[in-house]
Amino acid sequence: MRRIFTIAIVAFAALAILQSCEKDLPTNLEYSAYDFASLDENGGTWKPILLDSAAQIAIPAPAEEGSASFQAEVAETKAAAEKLTADQSEAVQYWSTNGLIRWNEIARELVAKYNLTPAANADGTYTLPDPANPSAYPNFPFAHPPYASRMYAYWSAAQFDALIAAWHYKYQYNRPAPYKADASVVTHLPQTDLPGYPADGAAVAAVSKAILTAMFPLEKDFLAEKAEEHQNSLIWAGINVQSDIVAGDSLGKGVAAIFLARAKTDGMKHAQAPKAISDSLAAVALERFGWQFINQEVPQRPVGIAPLYGRVKPWCIPNIEEVRPVPPPAPGSSEYEAAVAELKDYSENLTDEQREIANFWADGAGTYTPPGHWNRFASEAIVDNKLNPLRSARVFAYMNMAIMDAGISCWDAKYYYHYPRPTQSIPGFKAILGVPNFPGYTSGHSTFSAAAAITLSHFFPNRQAQFEAWAQEAADSRVYAGIHFRFDSEVGNTQGKACGIYAVDIAKADGGE
Amino acid sequence: MSSFLIKTLIVSGLLLMLAFPKTALAQTPNDAIMMEKGQLCIAAIYGHDSWDEYWEGTLKRKNGNIGTFTRRSVMGMFSLGITDNINLLGGLPWMKTDPSAGQMKGAKGLQDWGLWVKAKALEFKMGKSSLGLYPVIGLTGPASNYAVDYLPFALGFGAYELMGRGIVIYEHEKGFYLRGSYGYHLRSNTEIERDYYYTTHGVYSSTVDMPNASSFAATLGALVLDNSLKIELTYDGMNTLGGSDIRRNDMPFPSNNMEFTRIGGSLQYYFPFAKGLSVLATGGYTLSGRNMGQTTSFSGGITYQFGLWTPKGGAVD
Repeated sequence: MRRIFTIAIVAFAALAILQSCEKDLPTNLEYSAYDFASLDENGGTWKPILLDSAAQIAIPAPAEEGSASFQAEVAETKAAAEKLTADQSEAVQYWSTNGLIRWNEIARELVAKYNLTPAANADGTYTLPDPANPSAYPNFPFAHPPYASRMYAYWSAAQFDALIAAWHYKYQYNRPAPYKADASVVTHLPQTDLPGYPADGAAVAAVSKAILTAMFPLEKDFLAEKAEEHQNSLIWAGINVQSDIVAGDSLGKGVAAIFLARAKTDGMKHAQAPKAISDSLAAVALERFGWQFINQEVPQRPVGIAPLYGRVKPWCIPNIEEVRPVPPPAPGSSEYEAAVAELKDYSENLTDEQREIANFWADGAGTYTPPGHWNRFASEAIVDNKLNPLRSARVFAYMNMAIMDAGISCWDAKYYYHYPRPTQSIPGFKAILGVPNFPGYTSGHSTFSAAAAITLSHFFPNRQAQFEAWAQEAADSRVYAGIHFRFDSEVGNTQGKACGIYAVDIAKADGGE
Repeated sequence: MSSFLIKTLIVSGLLLMLAFPKTALAQTPNDAIMMEKGQLCIAAIYGHDSWDEYWEGTLKRKNGNIGTFTRRSVMGMFSLGITDNINLLGGLPWMKTDPSAGQMKGAKGLQDWGLWVKAKALEFKMGKSSLGLYPVIGLTGPASNYAVDYLPFALGFGAYELMGRGIVIYEHEKGFYLRGSYGYHLRSNTEIERDYYYTTHGVYSSTVDMPNASSFAATLGALVLDNSLKIELTYDGMNTLGGSDIRRNDMPFPSNNMEFTRIGGSLQYYFPFAKGLSVLATGGYTLSGRNMGQTTSFSGGITYQFGLWTPKGGAVD
């Protein structure tokens, strides 16, 4: 018996030790520095999204390669890169060759952090986040899918324009990177033939800091710290000199300001409409169609999420009516009854695989949302295809503009048709995920995903089948979960494609094909 | 009536709680009574626990979209005397969780199987009383592919848990006893059905690093009515060693820092006219907690004990 206990105690201790050696779980996309598949030397000629031209934001001409001041800067970078502290080395490997990947990850992380539905007050009322007082509960923002889609779109479109401008100046001035000017400069990232001035990484950091701070005001200090580390890492890595960074930073700030000016007037500030307007949208639908979405929460939330998001200014679609879907089936119709029967069947007989699909795509509270899920896929495809930052920004920009447009179109349909969700329409019906606080028709997951899939397929045609399969799975997932009727998802999928095509058409003509 | 049988029934009665590693009364093998070699006790227990308030981190709240949370369970258990000093115990519960309000469904299915080995390691006689030390080691693991990331409706954590527990008991020959125990619970990682989640930071994995936990219990017990009725009063609790708090108005997560203290009691009655048969009832109430519901629990069951084989050189009562 003593032997048994000795064995047990040894086994217990061994397990405890093994457990303490469990590998830390990844907190970001694991990738290592890569050589760019192309440099896109003509990238400065591509058509920007908002800038009139690549030269709209002026930066000073750099000191000549042979100048004493440039030589002094090269010497500074050389000294800094020669011997890195452990922290500096870690920062270089973290930001690596394509800081967009990390900033996109940071943006997703902030969405997950801020994507929590405000709790009810003690008296059963609800308070909305207040951008004028972001730190009061509920904190601003509530980063729900429309909010997130808009954030990703501004972040990435601004990056694209800033990098087009950076490329323009790089090849206009052609000032070499420090390691080209002095072969004895030690570098900790792959060397390229990209001219150094202005630093593209510094522009990326400046745009990210400006846009994300506007979107997540409580993260101001955190973002400033990250941007500073990113910019410093370019010196530590031996790939830029200080004036590259100053110019890149100034360029990024200038471009971000143009995008933030658009954001101020794009209609988002009216999207979270007051109760009277929200109620009137429901009343109009009831009058017009004979139904309205009613929030089923306890206590009831008086206003849906962003009822007027459908009126926010889109990027690529010409007008919202163009992509508005046909009306949903009327309750009682045979198509409606078939959809009800399908939902009831899943509710009783859901397979493990269907449940896994529902959970994999849930992307609900506390996550980066469906648009964030597609940004993750985009990041992975960008790294796998070794895209340079400019070309990466192009992917992010068109995908996220398409996603935001799809979201605007979806929200237009949601609040135009004001169609109830299954949990409202089918007596006793319950879902296996949290039911969102906005009308069901059409499905946001389906619309966002179809728009993302069609744009990503354009940029990565060899992955088209995978992207389309994912979009279909995302659409199906909401039916499995009991969140949507089949037609919500199917029509959303078609609608998302229709929105995405406009973005693809613009991409085809921007000079970057 | 033999006190041995009573003890056997007490063992099985308490065992009913073994299979509720995440909930309810006495969550681990917690008694200090051994079955003799060759004796088998089987039990069937119905359990019911419910709460309408829970702790979101340390904030106690109601949730109109859950209403009253109820869990019902049915469990089969056994306890076998391998030798007089080593017992093998096992249990398997089926359960169903339901909210009374809201738009989300509950869950149902087999939860976690459990197997434990308990031994009598030391016993000191001191006049009219005795002091005993009983180590227990056990393993629990998911018995079905339930959804782990579906709290509070999830049936369990989906993790394997290795539990080590030390039990000390002071018994007086007049039929009362004091028992104390401390347990340590080593938990494996668990898997959820999505590959990104946010706790205090984002994680790009479907694997969740589950914090370990410790547990304690203190029990005052007595045997009355000519040893046919056992009465116990227990104060116990659990402390998760690490983990995050539920954020404001967020869903709970398997690796939350869950804690509770609880007061509970149990009664077990052995029928004089039916050898080997007993009924039992328990009740418990959560006094304090963190990232868990304030549960009120009841259970009732029946146990039957009999000789599976007759050990050489000794007759079973």
